[in-house]
Amino acid sequence: MKTRVLPWLIAASLLIGLSETGAQTPAPAASGDKPPATDGQVWGALIYATDDAETIPDNGKTFPKEPADLEGRLRKVFDHKYLRIVGQHTQDILREYESWVVPSRDLFLKVDSNGPAAGGGIHLHLQFWQGEQVLVKSDAVLRADSPLFISGPKWRDGQLIFVLMLKAEH
Amino acid sequence: MKTPPEDHDLIRWMDGEMNEPERAAFEKRLETEPDLKVMVQSFEKVGTELRAQFPKERELPYADFFNSQIQVRMAQMEGEQEPATVAKASWMEMFRLPWLAAAAAIVVAMVAVLKPSAQMSSDVTQVLSTYAPNPDVVVRGYEDAEAQATVLMLDGLPDLPPDQKIVGYDVHGSRPDKAMASVTLLDEKGRPLVVLAKDSRDQPRLWDLHSRG
Repeated sequence: MKTRVLPWLIAASLLIGLSETGAQTPAPAASGDKPPATDGQVWGALIYATDDAETIPDNGKTFPKEPADLEGRLRKVFDHKYLRIVGQHTQDILREYESWVVPSRDLFLKVDSNGPAAGGGIHLHLQFWQGEQVLVKSDAVLRADSPLFISGPKWRDGQLIFVLMLKAEH
Repeated sequence: MKTPPEDHDLIRWMDGEMNEPERAAFEKRLETEPDLKVMVQSFEKVGTELRAQFPKERELPYADFFNSQIQVRMAQMEGEQEPATVAKASWMEMFRLPWLAAAAAIVVAMVAVLKPSAQMSSDVTQVLSTYAPNPDVVVRGYEDAEAQATVLMLDGLPDLPPDQKIVGYDVHGSRPDKAMASVTLLDEKGRPLVVLAKDSRDQPRLWDLHSRG
């Protein structure tokens, strides 16, 4: 099944991608569709925390100014000398469909919206995936600027951490 | 760990099953045996906390979920342990049963997860429930006030091989494709970066268009 479907997928995606590359603007929906309804926007990142600078991957980035003091807040939970962003993903939370936050090929998150929460934020069903395995499922209320830290597996001399944050401005 | 006869006396005393001479004798022991007194206090504390967390009139949130998880864990543990039966035992005696003690531990662990959430203010992220399909993984959810963050700590995950390359992306949006049941992840200029599709087992598959395309 997989071997039959995936070549079509790649071909279709490439065709769609090629047709839209010229526009140079993010396209939230397939051609001809109106943008899907959203319940908010999240920022997700995969972080590598270590005490050994030599184990930091080449693509590891330092933290941006926003979200404010995220590095300091992470360090209070995961006490490591170096924290680097391996990958990041800004994603709309789709109201009708599942959303995926994929800052990395290796660790990513499936997000299903269960609608706005009383008092602000969004009810979410989360699935934290490592490759083809679900590491944890969780129901949560994600609130703006209140990050969720998920400890991932240990790697090399340190630890991988997934950060999910609901953006306030959406 | 107390021996069974001592446990029995303790349980009978806590359940009010002793007659007056027995009760007086046991309470005298409490005055002379600090370890026994500590054990009584710890049992009373656990009982008080459980009653406080689960008052009779309160409906347990996600009851079906929790019940199913407890039943699964109980079934797993029953398979590993010899069957044990007890009739008309006091509630404290039930802690001697391995599977029930384990189930109680799960309930206490869930209380630990839920308690911080219940006490959180409305402006912080709350974890309502967790489930790790791998029974070796223990999930702890809590709010770290100092970090102003909510944490899901997964203990027991296998380490990744040190030589495994962790591939990171910089994704700025996505384009769902309903017809293909897939989603194309886009870079900051809206160009396709990765295609995510689910296979026949509903597991996600990622196709990095840059490295493979």
